[in-house]
Amino acid sequence: MQMTAELGVLAAVSCLTVLASLGVLLTKDNFYAALYMALTMIFVASCYGRFGLHPAFVLIAFVFVGAIGIVTVALAATYRKPPERQISPLWIAPSVITAAILGYSAFLWHAHSPNLSEIGFEMRDFLAPENILLVIFLISLVVLLVSAILRIYGREA
Amino acid sequence: MLLAGASSAVASSAVASSATAAQVEMSEASLIYATAFAVLLVAYLTAVSSKDLIRLLISLEMMFGAVFLALIPLFSLPAMQSTAFSILILTIFVSSSELLILIAAITIFDRRKRSIDVELVSEGGDKV
Repeated sequence: MQMTAELGVLAAVSCLTVLASLGVLLTKDNFYAALYMALTMIFVASCYGRFGLHPAFVLIAFVFVGAIGIVTVALAATYRKPPERQISPLWIAPSVITAAILGYSAFLWHAHSPNLSEIGFEMRDFLAPENILLVIFLISLVVLLVSAILRIYGREA
Repeated sequence: MLLAGASSAVASSAVASSATAAQVEMSEASLIYATAFAVLLVAYLTAVSSKDLIRLLISLEMMFGAVFLALIPLFSLPAMQSTAFSILILTIFVSSSELLILIAAITIFDRRKRSIDVELVSEGGDKV
């Protein structure tokens, strides 16, 4: 019974994720599209929270939504233009066909899938020296990119 | 700076976090994959239909969201848990950097062309 409730929670969050992503597609205004996108990403992070992967939730919510997502919302608000429908009817049919094929593949995978076990992820195991070095390199990459972008801006100005 | 702040927040939460023990059922994994595919297809449809660069940026962010979702079942394979988290961190940082460059490119593009219409992008891609 408890497992059914957990599956129900995940199904609800998944439905909200898909609905928010459809909001991006169907809305005419870029500002609202950016807000729906941020909402989609929050729901994606919530899926990680559902499985107890809190470091992943924090990373997605703070780095991806908190930094990049909010900049996108600000950009959409700055470059606001008259709303217009941005959906190509010609691409709907190929998308639906692809969705059907992928859905069938997921069903087959479900039938012949490996045994999944409990998520026993511990942050302590991840904090090995090589992984810390990886994180330091990634932060350095971002800092270097920001510096390069600021320099390009300086030249453009 | 915001990214570095968030990273330190992750590091502090890492110390506090204990072992998680959530079971991933097959039906849950299928549901996650189905959601990831749905978000990915909506993002593709948004990208091919986009008339301006902002909508293109939004669709790219959603594609990365689908990738994040598809990574969840990897955490349920005991030998892959640290690797899955490494892949997640790599994906988050690399995609954030990529999107940061695209955001900068959009603002520079607008400064030069006085518009953010996709039709005005003349560099790269195939010409029909």
